[in-house]
Amino acid sequence: MLSTLELSPRTLDAQAPVRISVRNLDFYYGEHKALKNVNLDFRDRHVTALIGPSGCGKSTLLRIFNRIYSLYPEQRAEGEILLDGRNVISKDVDVNELRSRVGMVFQKPTPFPMSIYDNVAFGIRLYEKPPKSELDDRVEAALRRSALWDEVKDKLKSSGMGLSGGQQQRLCIARTIAQRPEVILFDEPTSALDPISTGKIEDLLEQLKSDFTIVIVTHNMQQAARISQYTAFMYLGEIIEFAPTDTIFMNPTKKQTQDYVTGRFG
Amino acid sequence: MTAVTDMTSAPSAPAIRKTPKATFDFVFRNASFLAALLVLVLLAGIMVSMVIGGWPAFREFGFGFITSSVWDTQNEQYGAWPAIVGTLATAMIALVIGVPLSLGIAIYLTQLAPPWFKGPVSTAIELLAAVPSIIYGMWGLFVFVPLFAQYVQVPLSNIVEGMPLIGTVLYARSPSGLGIFTAGMILAFMIIPFIASITRDMLEQIPSVLRESAYGIGATTWEVVRHVLVPQAGVAIIGAIMLGLGRALGETMAVTFVVGNANRLSASILDPGSTIASRIANEFNEAMGLQLNALIALGCILFFVTFIVLVIARLLVSRVKRY
Repeated sequence: MLSTLELSPRTLDAQAPVRISVRNLDFYYGEHKALKNVNLDFRDRHVTALIGPSGCGKSTLLRIFNRIYSLYPEQRAEGEILLDGRNVISKDVDVNELRSRVGMVFQKPTPFPMSIYDNVAFGIRLYEKPPKSELDDRVEAALRRSALWDEVKDKLKSSGMGLSGGQQQRLCIARTIAQRPEVILFDEPTSALDPISTGKIEDLLEQLKSDFTIVIVTHNMQQAARISQYTAFMYLGEIIEFAPTDTIFMNPTKKQTQDYVTGRFG
Repeated sequence: MTAVTDMTSAPSAPAIRKTPKATFDFVFRNASFLAALLVLVLLAGIMVSMVIGGWPAFREFGFGFITSSVWDTQNEQYGAWPAIVGTLATAMIALVIGVPLSLGIAIYLTQLAPPWFKGPVSTAIELLAAVPSIIYGMWGLFVFVPLFAQYVQVPLSNIVEGMPLIGTVLYARSPSGLGIFTAGMILAFMIIPFIASITRDMLEQIPSVLRESAYGIGATTWEVVRHVLVPQAGVAIIGAIMLGLGRALGETMAVTFVVGNANRLSASILDPGSTIASRIANEFNEAMGLQLNALIALGCILFFVTFIVLVIARLLVSRVKRY
């Protein structure tokens, strides 16, 4: 699991294998076509940011990777999203198993109504029945990994709802990584948090990319610039430009991208 | 000229508002205080008159009024036990049948139902809640009771006859269809709309992002409902159940129709019995003297039982809230 090469946020490995590839993807809310012919590759153990003005389809795209959209019968996707060569939007995919491999962290912290320990153990218990000691170890490891252990180790049995917003969001990250997914999707994970909590989450993302392929939706361009290696700029349901983050922010090829990253619209 | 006066009067418009009379505010404050006070006065008035009215019966029979099973108007002997047991038994049966069905309805409607099905069922639940209880009573007596006697009581009694315990509890001596269990069933139908609609509203209020994150971790619908949604709505669901229980305990008309109105206590839930409310409704017309006092004392006990239920509900709610 450990990479010998410590990547700094700006360094990216162009040789890294592609973990997820999106091919000719269309998405519909009922009659409304929200994504138009999206094609993207997400590299293994890199952070890819999706940016764009509100309503451009970035969250919509993110919500396809774990099929969370399929909770709503009027939403449908057409095309291919290949995860390890398998199309995740085909009918015969076991969505629960898919979601255990593709974790998701939402805009708002969503602790479940149970203890801190049970929150983290919840995802593990769904798929495995590890002995108590191993479960304890995995819960602790996940909480350490999400930089929450020191703050909660004395109150693991108390409710997850009693934590502060930033702690709750890190608890949700712990819950997600405890399941050992391959991909983690972040849907504006800091939009409901104060700047200090946001900083902690960003540090965490930096740590997590050595083990996980991360896709993050953010409306905050500075955040995208700080934490991602690749950035896709979306507008009106289309990918306008997809390139290494440095290129998108310093030297974009499309005028629309330049206008957006320099704050001229959106 | 008019334009000029209009323009000059416009800026001074705020001055048109006269200083409100202090007396009006005084009257308004005290009127609303009296309105709030009325609630306390009403409650205290009902309590006091119930206790005073029932007092002769309590004094005559003492604690035996609660434990005695005799209800003899000829010899002026009164005991509340069969009615208390009947009240609690019918309410319990109603909850045992009604709560799982209500939760099932609410969960199906909020989580699983396709939109074309959700609308009609939701409307039907609201309409069921609006059906007057006498309609339930009539339907129960004329439609449900004969069917229940023919297709459940008779065959069931034949099967369980002679068995230990079950042969007592589920054996109908006179399979008329009337009885404690029938009343419990009708009560269940009556409380389902309440519990189901409140639970549905509570489940709908849960932010969709919580539901999505529970699904997002790979949980099945059952796991999401069981471990996340129901505990999240937990307090409110208990409140809804207690509301249903309150209605089941006090329901009079429908129960009086189908409970059989027997004064004797039977060990079988298929036998006729009575509840506090049904007994009062049956006898109040002709009651005089000590019988009337005994009926009011019964009312007192119902009041007390309902109060206990509320206290337990509060305790449960505060226990859940800590989570």
